[in-house]
Amino acid sequence: MTIARLYLSNDTSSKAAGADRLAELLEARPDVQLVRTSSRGAFYLEPMIERDGPNGRLVWPRVTAGDLTSLLEGRGGKPIDEIPYLAQQTRATFSNFGITEPLALDEYQARGGFKGLEAAMALAPESIVQELRISQLRGRGGAAFPVWNKWEAARQADAEEKYIVVNADEGDAGTYCDRMILEGDPFRLIEGVLICAHTIGATKGYIYCRQEYPAAARTVRTAIQKADEAELLEVDGRTFSIEVISGAGSYVCGEETALLESLEGRRGVVRAKPPYPAVSGLFGRPTVVSNVLTFATVPNILARGGAWHASLGTERSRGTIPLQIGGRVKQPGLVEIPFGMTLRQVLEKFGGGMADGATFKAVQVGGPLGSLFPESRLDIPICYDAFSDAGAILGHGGIVVYDDRTEMVALARHFMAFTAEESCGKCTPCRIGSVRAREVLDAILGGRGSQEDLALLADLGDTMKATSLCALGGRAPYPVMTAIEHFSEEFTRRLPG
Amino acid sequence: MITRPPLAMMEPSGSRSAKPPAKPNILKTLLTIQQANGHVPIDSVPHIAHSLGVTEADVAGVLSYYPDLRTNAPGRHVVRVCMGESCIANHCDRVLQAVDEYVGHLNCEPGRALRYTVEKTSCMGNCALSPTVSIDDDVHGRVTPGNIATLLEPYR
Repeated sequence: MTIARLYLSNDTSSKAAGADRLAELLEARPDVQLVRTSSRGAFYLEPMIERDGPNGRLVWPRVTAGDLTSLLEGRGGKPIDEIPYLAQQTRATFSNFGITEPLALDEYQARGGFKGLEAAMALAPESIVQELRISQLRGRGGAAFPVWNKWEAARQADAEEKYIVVNADEGDAGTYCDRMILEGDPFRLIEGVLICAHTIGATKGYIYCRQEYPAAARTVRTAIQKADEAELLEVDGRTFSIEVISGAGSYVCGEETALLESLEGRRGVVRAKPPYPAVSGLFGRPTVVSNVLTFATVPNILARGGAWHASLGTERSRGTIPLQIGGRVKQPGLVEIPFGMTLRQVLEKFGGGMADGATFKAVQVGGPLGSLFPESRLDIPICYDAFSDAGAILGHGGIVVYDDRTEMVALARHFMAFTAEESCGKCTPCRIGSVRAREVLDAILGGRGSQEDLALLADLGDTMKATSLCALGGRAPYPVMTAIEHFSEEFTRRLPG
Repeated sequence: MITRPPLAMMEPSGSRSAKPPAKPNILKTLLTIQQANGHVPIDSVPHIAHSLGVTEADVAGVLSYYPDLRTNAPGRHVVRVCMGESCIANHCDRVLQAVDEYVGHLNCEPGRALRYTVEKTSCMGNCALSPTVSIDDDVHGRVTPGNIATLLEPYR
């Protein structure tokens, strides 16, 4: 009997598309060896099954139980590099996705894993910081702060204990690249953390994982255990332990200082900065806080050199960015490309146009605090500076497309209600401003608004932008104000008389 | 050869940090209680505060702050309808309505504990398969109002 080796993703979204139902059928067959891999991120094709072909993998997309017979006979598979969605990407951080088993340490190592750590261990901490400086890596969590700068501040800080905190509280709606890394390539994250530990002299690491990601927390915990058993959690002669801590559903805990408060077990209330966490963070000790993607980007930089990273992307946004395309597009999924392509190109090339029967209305980039773009503004290049010049954010790379059935006043009301709900309450502009703005939007939505209300929203927005303590209050007005700017008629239409 | 002890993870007191935090971790304690008990009864606050050596206000403050901490027992199954932007763009309001209609009918079983607790949740990170509904630990994608009954029925 020939045994067919089949690959099927074990990612939460692949399961949500029905991967486990297929796995059950396949595991019952004696002629099948099933390997549960990470996902390639082309979720519109999931559940997708792959087999080894003469020149790489063959792919069967959107598999149903009825397709299994022809699949097992080897009929109908398509070579993986003939799928433009995948072929047109530049995979660096996501190079293992769809290929390896997430918890197979040997596979990770066989594909170059821990080469970055090896290179780092041969370097003095100053030289690692220098390499990061050359790479021009900016934090991928939203603020885009130069990574070398944070590491250097923490390295120079004089303290008996220093910490590393991985922000895995990926709360921005429309984003899931951190979840994919935790579930699909956890050793890459661990490697990045260990490089950081060697560089700054950290004594302990924490991964603060949002409660909505139970599979991610489970996988990364097992990966830590496996790395420990393989004696990889050794940094400069000391054991470096990494603990996974669960969040409890608060959006603002994705803000680094609120996250630290939460890690210490208190209400996730934002701290005033300075002091910055690199100087005084967790339990008042120097702490490097970065998101999952940032740490996972580091191993390649050490293995391939800072210059390699700096050779990709645009002038001030170097490297690649995993964009997560969602909403009403035909081909939702994760796409890793160098910075620089325009938003329109991304939506056309990868998004594949609108879902059947839908007409484009607007796109929001950067999560619930991101600005809205109408059709006329889509030629903006995907990079930090073009977005910041336009008063927008790239955030965590989430792209959500809305169709013409979306009511902009109701959407604006949703945005402000979200901020009012999630505000930590520390600063007045966010705590009061978001509630007041929601009330005004409720009035407009209910046909009880006035021209003055629109002026009041603008005024409230300006105050929140200028005086809020963190990005939640500071960014909350942007989606609302861009909705009013680009779709003003929908707002004025609801004003009486 | 010196063998190292395995990593102690997630136990509140098992952390191997060189200097353990001096103050008790209220959030971790409440999450542990909820995991064991399903919820944190509001009248247990004085007891928790006393055993941690903190004030009742400290405990109540943390308990009321985090959306995932509950003070009432949930139904046998927790159904979460995602309200993240990708799901909103895919008109999840209709999915929520269908869930409410289906559950409203079934939650009236006399003499039994609530079958479902329905909650709206912010993004679950399943955005490429919007709209998303999770039932207990299972995440379901590409949900339509029409397949709600088939989806929920097996969870009894």
